[in-house]
Amino acid sequence: MKKAFLILLVLALLSTGTLFAQSKSEVRKEKPVEIEFWTTETQSDRMATIQVLIDTFTALNPNISINLIPVNEDDLVTQAQTAKATGSLPALFEGPAETAVSFGAQNMLDISSATEIIQEIGVDRFYSGPLKVLETSAKNQYYALPYHGWIQGIWYRSDWFKREGLKAPTTWDDVLVAAKRFYKPEINQYGILVGTLPESYTEQCFTPIAMSNGAALFNADGELIFNSPEMREAVEFYAELAKYNPPGPQTWRARDYYLQGKMAMFFYSTYIMDDLAVQEAAAGSLTSEYFTELKGSSFDPDLVNKTEVASMVKKKVPAGYGTVVSFGLFNQSTPEQTAAAKEFLRYLYTPNAYITFLHMAPGGMNPMLKGIATDERFQNDPQGLFKRYGTQKMADIIDGLENVQTFSIVEGKRIEAASEITAKMIIPQMLYKITQEKMPIDSAMNWAEEEMRKVLQ
Amino acid sequence: MQTSPRASTKVKALKTRAQQEQRLGWLLVLPSVVIILSLILYPIIYNMFLSLFTFDYSGQRSFVGFGNYAKVLADPEFRTALGTTILYVVLTTLGTTVLGVVVALALNKEFPLRGLVRSIVLLPYVAPVISVVFAWQFVFDPVNGIFMDIFHSKLGIFAERVNIVGDPNTAVWAAIVFSIWKNFPFIYLMVLSRLQAVDKTLYEAADVDGASSWQQFKAITMPEIYYVVSALILLRVIWNFNKFDEVYLLSSNVRVLSVYTYLKAFTGSMDFGQGATLAVLQFFILIGFILFYVKKVLKW
Repeated sequence: MKKAFLILLVLALLSTGTLFAQSKSEVRKEKPVEIEFWTTETQSDRMATIQVLIDTFTALNPNISINLIPVNEDDLVTQAQTAKATGSLPALFEGPAETAVSFGAQNMLDISSATEIIQEIGVDRFYSGPLKVLETSAKNQYYALPYHGWIQGIWYRSDWFKREGLKAPTTWDDVLVAAKRFYKPEINQYGILVGTLPESYTEQCFTPIAMSNGAALFNADGELIFNSPEMREAVEFYAELAKYNPPGPQTWRARDYYLQGKMAMFFYSTYIMDDLAVQEAAAGSLTSEYFTELKGSSFDPDLVNKTEVASMVKKKVPAGYGTVVSFGLFNQSTPEQTAAAKEFLRYLYTPNAYITFLHMAPGGMNPMLKGIATDERFQNDPQGLFKRYGTQKMADIIDGLENVQTFSIVEGKRIEAASEITAKMIIPQMLYKITQEKMPIDSAMNWAEEEMRKVLQ
Repeated sequence: MQTSPRASTKVKALKTRAQQEQRLGWLLVLPSVVIILSLILYPIIYNMFLSLFTFDYSGQRSFVGFGNYAKVLADPEFRTALGTTILYVVLTTLGTTVLGVVVALALNKEFPLRGLVRSIVLLPYVAPVISVVFAWQFVFDPVNGIFMDIFHSKLGIFAERVNIVGDPNTAVWAAIVFSIWKNFPFIYLMVLSRLQAVDKTLYEAADVDGASSWQQFKAITMPEIYYVVSALILLRVIWNFNKFDEVYLLSSNVRVLSVYTYLKAFTGSMDFGQGATLAVLQFFILIGFILFYVKKVLKW
């Protein structure tokens, strides 16, 4: 009896203690709202900068916890589809505007929250071009928020062009003539770099060529007009250019050959600016310390002065290409998570956080808010790049973002399906089949059209 | 004849004990059975189920019966992928086996620093696949790689610079050589351990009888390592038939079935139904081969 009483007493004490401890912990600390943030800035130094921003934000907002997850840009669609199927989409993602539009067209995005923050910041404070890229078919609604952007051009060796008496590569003919002239595989030198692997870079190179010939994926009524004579001509021209590439299928990584003095021209974004001007930035691409006998592998400090960029290419009309990188909010199961993501976005648009983010890649990441570009702190980047290129050149680049063109906006109308086609990389696959697997152009275009129709179904 | 009550109690006790042991046995294997069913059998069956549907972009599925199978079998790209897979599996299995056995025989002999050499030979197998893939891509880079520098610029064996790893016409050969180089140490290790267990007196007796090295290999070594090598061939066929990481990382242009399935299901217009169908076909082709091989070669 005595024993049973003792056992009961101990149990009673333990249970009260446990209950008390539980209630105490509930009072003491509320669990922070946890959200996931997918970024396409997968390089370790950029991840570290974003983590610093997150740490600062969470120190100011201890009720929010943010997990930063790197996702390769080419894998973003696949990862999001998988996450959607398993109900684990992140609260926030950073990715190309075209991809954001594609997600929005599939009802995956919280459009009202994105629009609300844009209105809070002020629609007039954004550059209108990038904002238009993210506008839904219903006006004044936005799929996502533009955050930074780059423009693409043909970067070329102006000293070589001058020596050969060639014109700057701004028209189809001039590009082709120069590519042929500088293609000298016998001395390990190549004419041009255009993407030929089935990935985003290839589409980025091809888009301005197609648009400069008046080719489009859709007409203003939303009908697929991909398989047109203009598009065929553009594909044919692209396949011709690819013959003057370095051997085999190529991607953006082959820009190293330019830095090594082995290539005359290459399509690239303004992200190349630091590699051209800053030795430390280029060091990661070059290999001279390991293979000293390989020719042309050392950094040329004067390369920046021997390089110019043609930001438009012309056939029937001039066309340029650029990408707006946006922040989008995926639909969440709880309003707390959306609120936390919105709070973090507001923080990212504050001048200090914004400039810190953009300084990760001066020249590559250009602001989408008008005031930032003229901010003295922004112009004073840690690598001194803006000073090296000069304020005017930087201003031209940022202004170029106003004229960003895309297959998904036709005569001012938004065609969501075009963004889905871009996200599914059908055009790069077609170009790979033509340039590498030697598929006849007509068969490859028919194949691509069939794939596009599958997407439209 | 009647059994004594004592004997019948004993029988009963034994029965109960046997039943108890049986029950315990089932309890002990139950966790494994549950894990196998949930982690292996369920995905296979679910994948077969998925292969009977098509999916639209919102994830909605519609039943098409064996429609996906008809489409896949009629697809020339599938037949090309199957052909590439057979070429890849046959040559890599043959290459790793022959090289592994030869190296094992060589390293079974006494020579100075044998321990060190035996360890070095294992390096390709133990090195992480991603690091060796990058090393290979670097070596075979058409513009800066050391391979083209030697074989084109210095020796002139190649008339022009070729992107061996990237070009769809040569990439499969690069993937085959890479797989042989990366995986032969596994065969070598297994065969060497078997060779070390062979009774040395057999070779001494053969020597006394005047048998040549080849005769000794044929009459003693081969029968001793037959079952080990046969089992290793089966393992390599299974592994190489499903190989994805090595092939895709080295060059995504090598369209073996596993890579083709991935590209079909997760890139471009993302056809999950046909992706699942390809996985099912791959599964049955492999199962068919395993059953045939086990019966005819391993003689189980």
